[in-house]
Amino acid sequence: MMKTNLLSAVVTLGLALPVTAVLAQDTATEEELLTTPAETPEAEAETAPAEEPAVEAAPAEAEAEAASDEEAAEAPVAEDEAPAEEVTTEDAPAEDATEEATAEEPAAEEDAAEENAADDGQSTAEENAEAEAIVEGDAEGQASTDEPEVGVMEEEDHGAAEDDHAAGDEGDDSHAAPHIENIDFSFDGPFGAYDVNQLQRGLQIYTEVCAACHGLEYVALRTLSDETGPNMPEEQVIEYAKGYDVYDAELDDTRPATPVDHFPGSNLENAPDLSLMAKKRAAFHGPYGLGINQFVKGIGGPEYITALLTGYTGEEKEQAGTVLYENTVFPGGWIAMGPPLSDELVEFADGHENDVQSMAEDVSAFLMWTAEPKLGARKQAGFTGVVLLGLLSVLLYLTNKKLWAPVKNRRKGD
Amino acid sequence: MSGIPHDHYEPNSNGEKWLHRRLPIVGLLYDTLMIPTPKNLNWMWIWGIVLTFCLALQIITGIVLVMHYTPHVDMAFASVEHIMRNVNGGYMIRYLHMNGASLFFIAVYAHIFRGLYYGSYKAPREITWIIGMLIYLLMMATGFMGYVLPWGQMSFWGATVITGLFGAIPFIGEGLQTFLLGGPAVDNATLNRFFSLHYLLPFVIAGLVILHIWAFHTTGNNNPTGVEVRRTTKEDAKKDTLPFWPYFVIKDLFALAVILTVFFAVVGFMPNYLGHPDNYIEANALATPAHIVPEWYFLPFYAILRAFTSEVWVVQIASFVTGGIIDAKFFGVLAMFGAIAVMALVPWLDTSSVRSGRYRPMFKWWFALLVIDFFALMWLGAMPAEEPYATFSLIAAAYWFAYFLVILPLLGVIEKPLAQPETIEADFDAHYAPKAGGTKTLVNPAK
Repeated sequence: MMKTNLLSAVVTLGLALPVTAVLAQDTATEEELLTTPAETPEAEAETAPAEEPAVEAAPAEAEAEAASDEEAAEAPVAEDEAPAEEVTTEDAPAEDATEEATAEEPAAEEDAAEENAADDGQSTAEENAEAEAIVEGDAEGQASTDEPEVGVMEEEDHGAAEDDHAAGDEGDDSHAAPHIENIDFSFDGPFGAYDVNQLQRGLQIYTEVCAACHGLEYVALRTLSDETGPNMPEEQVIEYAKGYDVYDAELDDTRPATPVDHFPGSNLENAPDLSLMAKKRAAFHGPYGLGINQFVKGIGGPEYITALLTGYTGEEKEQAGTVLYENTVFPGGWIAMGPPLSDELVEFADGHENDVQSMAEDVSAFLMWTAEPKLGARKQAGFTGVVLLGLLSVLLYLTNKKLWAPVKNRRKGD
Repeated sequence: MSGIPHDHYEPNSNGEKWLHRRLPIVGLLYDTLMIPTPKNLNWMWIWGIVLTFCLALQIITGIVLVMHYTPHVDMAFASVEHIMRNVNGGYMIRYLHMNGASLFFIAVYAHIFRGLYYGSYKAPREITWIIGMLIYLLMMATGFMGYVLPWGQMSFWGATVITGLFGAIPFIGEGLQTFLLGGPAVDNATLNRFFSLHYLLPFVIAGLVILHIWAFHTTGNNNPTGVEVRRTTKEDAKKDTLPFWPYFVIKDLFALAVILTVFFAVVGFMPNYLGHPDNYIEANALATPAHIVPEWYFLPFYAILRAFTSEVWVVQIASFVTGGIIDAKFFGVLAMFGAIAVMALVPWLDTSSVRSGRYRPMFKWWFALLVIDFFALMWLGAMPAEEPYATFSLIAAAYWFAYFLVILPLLGVIEKPLAQPETIEADFDAHYAPKAGGTKTLVNPAK
C-alpha cells in the first residue's frame, strides 16, 4: 500500500485531515473490492461467470429487437428499447456511428455491452453487431483510437471474451475489472521525482522493444536531456536521435532525426501512440464511484501499464486471421499485442534486474515521464505554492484576529 | 450606494475635488469598499470573494492559454500537449485553469446553498438571486464549452451528448442542434464556436457579477440572522455593521488563502484527480467511450436528466397528455432545466416570512435533506444507469422538486418559527460576549 503519498500530502498541507479515518476506510474498501464479484476476474470466474449478464440481457435483447422492428435502421432507436432499469432519455447506443449518434448515452452503451455479453458473439441482429463495434471501441478504442479497423478487430476479441468478463461491467465503473496492484513508484507522492536510472532503463526497453510498433509522437527527443527526465548528455541524445528516421517536409524525404524532432509515431497502424498512455489509463476505481482509491493511490496509469505487460496468461487464439493473446488486465480479456517482454529480453549496461516485472515497471515509469514530463517542476511549484500560501494564511489569520479582537470583545455599552 | 446610512466619500484636496466634480469614480470605489456590512457574517459569507478570485484566475490563465492554443480539430489536442510540454510554465497555467473550474464550482455551490439556508433570496434581494442564477447558468455553459476545447474523447462525446439534449426539443430540436453544432455532428465548426463563446462568456459573467454586487450593495447584505440592519440613524446602523474594509476584506482574504493552499496542493500534487483519463485520448468520432461522464459539477443535474425514463408514470402521463410530444428524452431535458428553474424561482416559492433557516425548526431538516440529496444526485450521476441507481436517482430527483415546489410553500404556512433576535447587534453580542478576562463570561449581554 502506498499511503506515503497521501500521508505526506496531508502533512504538507498542514491539514488536520482525519488521516486514520481515510486509511481505515481504504482497507475496508479494499476488502469490499476483493469480495465484490464484479471487481476481480478471478472471483468472477469462480462464481458462475456469465450468469448475471445473461439474465440482464434477455430483456435487453428482446426489447432491442422490438425496437428495431419499430424504428428500423432509420434514426437511433428511442428509449423504449432500453431494458426496464435503463435510463432512457437518450437514444440507443449503437444505431449508427455517424451523425445521429449524437445523443449517445453511456447508460445505453453499457446495456449494449451486456447484450453483447449474452450474445457471446453470435448476435443475429445487425444492431447488435454494430453495438459491438461501438462497445468494443470503448474497450480498446481508447488505446487505438485512430483506426476504425482496430475497432473491428478488437470487437471480435471483446465479443468472444464477454462471457468471462462482461460481469465486470456490473461494477461501480464500467472500466472496472481486474484488481491492479499499487506500485510504489519513485514519482508518487508530493515529493516524488522520477528515478533517472529507471527512466533510462525504460527508454532502453522502449527503444529495443516497444518502438518496433509504437510511437511517441508528442515527445521531443531533446527532452531526453531534461534534468528531471532521463537526464541524458546532449551528445548522447544527438546520437540516439540518429537512430530514428523522420519525414522532413522541406526535403520531402526522410532523414535521420535530430534532438529538435519528435519521436516518430507508431509504425503499426493498430499500435496506439504511447506518449500519453500513462495518463489515458486508470487502474483504481471506486469504491462505489467515490474516487477514494484514486485519492489514496493515485489514478494508476503506470500501474495499469505494468499490470497489462505482466498480465498475460499464455493463452492465445486465432480469430479472423489475427492471433489474440489472453490478458487479465485488458478490457475484454484478449489483446492483439503479443507478450512484449520476456525475462532477460533487454540487457542493461549496469546489470540491473531484467525480469518481466521490473522491466514492466521501468517502462511504465518511462511512459509516465513521456505523459507528464513536467511532473517534477509541477510538484515543486505546488510545494512552493502550498508553503507560501500556508504562510500567508497564518499571517492573515493573525491579522484578522487582531483586527476583530476589539470588536468581538467589546462589551455592549462599554 | 447603499440604503444603509453611512459616511460617504468627501474629496479633500483640490485635485480630488476637481476629479470628483467630473468623474466621481473615487467616491464610487470608496463607497463600494466601505459599505456597511452586518458584523455577524459567518464563514459561509466568504465564497463571494473566492468566486471573484476564481473568475479573475480563469480569465487570466485562459487568456494566456489562448495564446498557445489552436482551435482546430486536427491541432487542438496537439496544441494542448504543446502547452503542457513546451510553453514555459504552460503545464501550471493549464492545470490551474482546469482545476480552477472545479474550485469555481465548489465555491458557487457553497455560495448558492448558503443563500438557500439563510434565505438570502428573499425580498428585497430577489434580483441579486436571479442575477446569481444567470451567472450560474453561464458558468455551466462556459465550463461545458471549455471542456470541449482540449478535444479529448470526453470533450467530444460530452459535447455530443449535451448538444443532443437540444435535439430532444420537439419540432425545432433537430434544427436547433444543427445550428448549435454548425453542422450535423460535433466537428470543427463546433469547436470553433465553442472556443469563441468560451472566450466571450466569462466577460458577460464579469458584467453580471458587477450587477450582482450592485444589487446587494443596494439592499445590503443578508446575514445569518436574516434580520435587517437598522436604518433609522447612522448611529444605529453603525451598531449593526462594520465597514467592509478592513474587517471583511481581511477576513475574506484569510479564508481565500486557506482555500488556495488546498487548491495549490491539488494542482501541484494531483492535478488530474478531478478529470477523466479518457480526455487524454484524442477525440475520435468512431470510438465511443465506455462511460460518458460529465465533469463532476454537472453530475447532479445529469442524474436528474437521466432519472426520468419512459417507465416513470409522470413521464407516461406527460407523454399521453401531450400526444407524445413530450417523450421521455424531452421530459428529462425539461426536468434538468426545471431543476435549475425551480431554484431560480425560490424567492416566490418560499412562503415563510422568516429569512434565516436558523429560526426555522422544520425547515432546517428539510434543508439538510436537500444538501444530502444534492450530493446523492452527484454520486448517482456518475453511476451507470441501471438498478438500483435508476430508482435512487428518481427518488433523489423527486425530492429536489418536492423541496422547492411543495415543501417550501407549505413550510411557510405550517411552521412555527423561533424567536429572532431584535437586532444584528444583539445576535453578535450573544456570540461574542466578553471573553476570558471579562467578568461574566457566559452572560448574554443582550438580555
